[in-house]
Parts: sequence; structure tokens; C-alpha cells
Amino acid sequence: MKKSIELIEKIEGEAELHCAYGTDGRVVDAQIQFTSARNIEKILQGRDPKDALIINPRVCGICNHAHLIATVRALEACYKSVKISQKSQICREVTLSLELIQSHFKWFYLTIMPLLGFKPAIEKALKPSRIAAEAIAAFAGQYPHNSYAIAGGIVSDITPIELINAKERIEALKKLFKESLIDADPALFKECDKIETMLKHRGDMPLAMAKIIENGWQMMGKSEDRFIVFAEGAFKKGKSIGTRVSTNISTGHIKEESIKRSLAKRVLYKDRGYEVGPLARAMLMKTALIKESHRKYADSIFSRILARVCEIPQLIIYIESLLHRLDLSEESWIDPGEFPKRAVGAGVVEAARGSLVHKVEIEEGVIKEYNIITPTQWNLGSGDIEKPGIAQKALIGLKNSDPIELVLKSFDVCSVCTTH
Amino acid sequence: MDRRDALAKMFGAKGVRVNTNRGDEYYDSLRKKIEKRLSELRNSPAASKVDIEKVLDAEGLSRRDFMKWASATCAMLMLPASFTPLVAEAAELINRVPIVWLELQDCAGNTEAILRSDSPTIDELILETINFEFNETLMVAAGHQAEEHLDEVIEKFAGNFICVVEGSIPVGAGKEWCTIGAKGETFEEHLLRVAQNSAAVVAVGTCATFGGVPAASPNPTGAVGVQDIIKGKPIINIPACPANPANITGTILHYVMTGQVPELDYLNRPKFAFGYRIHDNCERRAHFDAGEFVEEWGDEGAENNFCLYKVGCKGPMTFNNCSIVRYNSGTNWPIGAGHGCIGCSEPDFWDKYAYERPMADANIKAPTGGVEKTVDEFGLGLLTAAGIGIAIHAFASAAAGKKEEV
Repeated sequence: MKKSIELIEKIEGEAELHCAYGTDGRVVDAQIQFTSARNIEKILQGRDPKDALIINPRVCGICNHAHLIATVRALEACYKSVKISQKSQICREVTLSLELIQSHFKWFYLTIMPLLGFKPAIEKALKPSRIAAEAIAAFAGQYPHNSYAIAGGIVSDITPIELINAKERIEALKKLFKESLIDADPALFKECDKIETMLKHRGDMPLAMAKIIENGWQMMGKSEDRFIVFAEGAFKKGKSIGTRVSTNISTGHIKEESIKRSLAKRVLYKDRGYEVGPLARAMLMKTALIKESHRKYADSIFSRILARVCEIPQLIIYIESLLHRLDLSEESWIDPGEFPKRAVGAGVVEAARGSLVHKVEIEEGVIKEYNIITPTQWNLGSGDIEKPGIAQKALIGLKNSDPIELVLKSFDVCSVCTTH
Repeated sequence: MDRRDALAKMFGAKGVRVNTNRGDEYYDSLRKKIEKRLSELRNSPAASKVDIEKVLDAEGLSRRDFMKWASATCAMLMLPASFTPLVAEAAELINRVPIVWLELQDCAGNTEAILRSDSPTIDELILETINFEFNETLMVAAGHQAEEHLDEVIEKFAGNFICVVEGSIPVGAGKEWCTIGAKGETFEEHLLRVAQNSAAVVAVGTCATFGGVPAASPNPTGAVGVQDIIKGKPIINIPACPANPANITGTILHYVMTGQVPELDYLNRPKFAFGYRIHDNCERRAHFDAGEFVEEWGDEGAENNFCLYKVGCKGPMTFNNCSIVRYNSGTNWPIGAGHGCIGCSEPDFWDKYAYERPMADANIKAPTGGVEKTVDEFGLGLLTAAGIGIAIHAFASAAAGKKEEV
């Protein structure tokens, strides 16, 4: 048995992938390890709960906004009841969705395209990210790292001018999507259920998908075929084993397990690993195109990549429908009253890479315990050969000549988030 | 101390003074120095193939757009308008200076801010032409290959490259848990090895400058900033969380132009960016002066964009140029969205300046030596009294007037 160590950089932060190969040249075990940590959960202990709203976005520069919204939801869950105006609810959903969109663009162009042998198109990644960030800033002040959401609503009083600024940028994103990713109207993605129809369009997404098929990689990277989604909003909550959906899930069944030699922990739901992220979300929402892809190629890199890119038009439509309902005359913030001295709360959001869970325990008015469970922990947390993690399972069985890095990165690794 | 004296001291404090007019003699000699430096750079080989003219062309931006940017940047660097052509030339030559960008104990938020998410279009294009010899996020090589590349860069450009650092460095117990590369170097070893061979080190973001969030109490990993590790090299600190891309470009540009670090304050921050408080140029300043405050979120004051001081804004004690440069291509900034400044460019802000707490409760030792606390204890009562705001304004103006005479 031969051991080899691959370093995976070019993700946010650094992680190591150790593959062990069998005599037939196939991966028999893959261990993913994360090599840096900041211990943010420890830093939060003993602090005023409101401090978490500023500290937590800094867990990750990539999905900082998801951390902010998860925090505010966890804090709101500590109250007996909190009323939030529809306006602040909409603003939070819009900024969160914008963060997802820009992350999907970046991941596709900076991570996936180069691995498929295409020239890195930095500007195609940077431009939509910049525009989406500006749209977020119109609501929230700046991006990355803002703290505009607080228990009871948001701090900003959006004016029609800021709204126009944001809408203009959302239009621009729509245009960029058509220009660079796929020359099709976002509405098409609502009903289209033929992969061939999709591939006939012009754009980098069909190019990439065709390349995967051309290389014969479309069945690679299959994992447990179990999916879980915790947050609603743009998506549907529930778990899906294969295509069998059940909506009755609770964050109470989530358990973290330490991993040997790594600073990250793996996560299980009722003792089983689940895949989180765009593919999981599409399975729960029964998105026609992705269901078709799943029927043909199962939970392979093909389905995973397609699902993530196809979330962009879905989110754009979602944002547009939200903004249509936005009433600026509503209150931004409704006083939730004194923060409870003793409470527990959990907040969930769907971040770009999947479900993000924050759990907080308050005692004597300060944070006693804070627990952050990130999407990468669900997908990348390693187990042992009997009970491998999601990405681990996808890697086992691959040959050295197979696109090992692509399979791993189809989950999108975020090490800063994972070790926090 | 008399209340009014306290206020006068606050607004006239030494840290606020930036000398923006140093006289003809100074600028003449600076101009000669820059011209010499730029002609040397022009004759040296380009380290990257990208050419700003072509990039601008491809983006449909005219020479005029570029010159507009150059003149704004010139002003930001606090140079006379006549230096604009030199700034433009330096921007064209920025690809002559190699840069190594290290990510240590970070959240990637600064890379995110500068390389992807925001910054005015031209700043960003210029950053594209900057020769990032080594940046984990942007480069194509990965793993062992990347590491070999870094070794090569260090050797080839020894003494000439700028080392940009993002993230803090853990030196406490368990520091071996943070390692980098196949050799398993600790972050400290890695930084020392690279920085030793650089011309100057630019610490970007509050983690790299002062330890930032990892260093927040109880600092579980013993995180420190670059200046606590690197000795005997010029260090420029560009704090804030995330650091403003304009300030990063400005600093790099200044180095390209002069071959020197810009004038720094006592925390090694460039004075052109950190010479003023947020408060000094805040768009809501008039409301502070008039005693009009947001008393709680969502109230009438919030709807009318009143001053956020009473809901915990740390603008009066935070040195940075956000109120002028703003964020995300100037789209907005936190105070614009109704959230007070959290003081993210100050040392230890996690423990001292954090959220929503009125300053008097926050146990702040402010950069100007605790004056702000006095102002807070005495001043807040004072500010709420009708009409007194105008008196403060008068004092502030008087202090400002004196400053100009010096």
C-alpha cells in the first residue's frame, strides 16, 4: 500500500488530503485534515451575546454574511418570541441570497473551470462578485463583514435610492449570468428537465458540463446519496435519502465528533453522515433539471456542479419576487425587549456550501457555550473506513489518474470556516 | 478637567494632525526622488506580462477614466495635484514590483475584499496587473508545486519583493497546530523565512496588524500581529476588518513610487489613511454637533440618519478613512447603513470597542490617551442638553483653526 500526501491550497485557507492507494492503484482511504484554527467558540465564551453579531462574521471571509444571519437567528431563538417586520425579513433574505450568488460564480470560475482544463477567467469571477457585494452593501453597509442584522430586525433604514442601486445590480447579475454562464433566461430553469436542452445553449456552464462527459467523469464522485437541508427561505427543509424525502428534521439530532489528527470535527445526523449544499437543496426542492441529472448520473460531480450553477437563476428569481413585496414604510426594527439572562437558541441558514448551524447557550446574561457547525464539516469531515465521511466516500475507489482534486472540490472546501 | 477643555483636547489631539502642506522645498525634492525611482523602474524588466493600458482598454475604460482615478488617488495619498501624472506613471509600473501574499491565521476576508468583492474598478484592475508572485487563492499552482514556486520567488527577488501578510500568527501553546506547506512549518517560521528576504512587510487587516479576532480574550492560540514577530524590516500596518482595498493599493503604489514606506503613525499605520478619525469626516457629523442622536434602533432618529454615538458608534476614537473612501466601490459603508463604527482598525477592538455598548461602559482606553472616556463620562450628559452641541461645534472649530495656523 502506497501513501501519498496532496496539499490542497487555493481553497480558503489550507487543508491536507492524504490518500492511501491499494495494490490495484485505487484509493482505499482518504483523510482530509485541516491544519489551522483560531478557536472562535472559546473567544465567544463569557461575552455579551450581542458581541457575537460582530465576531461571528469573521469566522469566514467567504460566507461571513451567512454567519451573521445564523447568529442573529440563534440570538432571536433565545427570546420567547420575537417579532420581525416583513421588510427586515426580506432584506436579510436578499443579502443572504446575494452572498450565495457571488460565491457560486467564484467557485465555478476560480475552482472548477481551471480543474477542467479551461483557462482561469478571473474577471468572470470577480465582476459578478463585485456587483453582488455592492448590492449587499446597499442594504448592509459593506461587504464582507457587516453587522446590519440585530435581534428584532435590521439597523438600516433603506431608502428608495438604495433600493434602486441594489435593483440595478441585480439586473446586472442577471445579464452576466446570461453572458458568461449560459445564454438562457433564468425562468427557463424553472421547468427545463432535459440535460440535452441545457447543454445546447451557449455559455461556460454547458462547456464545462460537456467537458465532464467528454472526459467520461460524469459518474465520478458518488457518495452516500443522502441529503439534508436545515434552513428554509429560498429552499425547502428536510432530508432526502435517494429521492425519498422526509421533512421532519430537527437540529437537536445533530452531533459533532472529533477527528483524529485534524482540527475539524465531523457532523452526523442521528449517527449518519449527510451531504449538504446545492445538490441537497435541489433534491429537496425537486428541481426538474437536477432530478433528471440525479436519475442519470446519481450524486456525482456532474450533478453537484450542475446543481450549484443552477442555483444562481433560482436565487435571482427569488430575490426579484422578494423585492417586489418589499414595503419600505415598514419598521426596520421591533424592540424584542431585554435579552434573556438564561436561554438556549439555535439558528440555521443555507450558506453557499450548505447548512450552517449556530447554537448558543446563555447564562447570567453572557454566552456560556457557542457552537458553530459549518457545511464543510458535514461534507468534508472524515470518518473511518466503516463509516466514511461524504467527500471521503466520494474519493474512495478513484484511480490516481482520475480527477481526485475535482471530486474533492466539487464539495468546495472551506478550511477557515471548518476549523474556526 | 473642565468639560469644555476635555472636548477641546479631544478634537485638537495630536493624533488628528496630519501635515498636508509641507512646503515647496519638500515637494520639489520628493518629485525628484520619485522621477528617479520611476525611471529606474521603467528600465527594469516587467515582472508580469499584464499591461494596465491593455487591461483598461479591454474593460472599455478610457485614459480619461484612468487619470480621474490617478488624481483621486493622488489626493488620497495627500500629495499635491501636480503629482497626478507621477501617480499614473507609478500605476503603470506597478507590475515591476513583485508581491508575495501570505495567508496565515485568517478568514480570507481581506483577500476577499481586495481581490474579489469590492474596490473601485480601476483599483481592482491595477491589482490585477500587480505581480502577485504568490497568492494561494489566485495562483494556478497548488500544493508542492506552489511551495517550490514560493522558494523560487524568494530566491529570485530576494530583497526586492513586498511581503503582504493576511492573518495573525499563533505563538501560544499548541502553535504547532497551525502549520503550512508540506514541510509542516509553523506560521511563525513560515512568516520569518519569507519576510526576512523581503524589502518591506505590509500587514493587511486587523489580524495581521494587531492579532485581531484570534487574539481576542482569552486568545486561545496566543495570536499576535506581524510587528510582534518581524524585527528589522519596514512594516506597514493597514488594519480594519476587512482592510479597505483603496488603502492597500495606495500603500503599494506609494512604495512603487518612492521606494519608501509612507509616513506612519505610532501604530505603523500610513497617515494618509489613518490620520483622521471616522468622526472627523462623518456624513452624520452635523447631527452629532447639533445633539441629534439615534436613541434606539428604528426610532425617528434612525429614520433621519442621526448620529449613532449613543448606540455605540466608535467613530470618535477610530482612525481610518472609511467616511471618505467608503466601501464596495463607494456604494456604502456601515454608518451609511445605520450601524455605528465598531472601531475595527484599532488595537484590541474586540475587547474594548465591541458592540452597541455605550462607550462609557466599554472600558476604553482610547488612542489619544483616554481623553474620549472623559468626554464620554462628562460629554454625553452635556451633549444631550439642548443647545450645547453648538458650543462643542464652536470648540471643535476653534481647535481646527489653531491647527491650520501651525
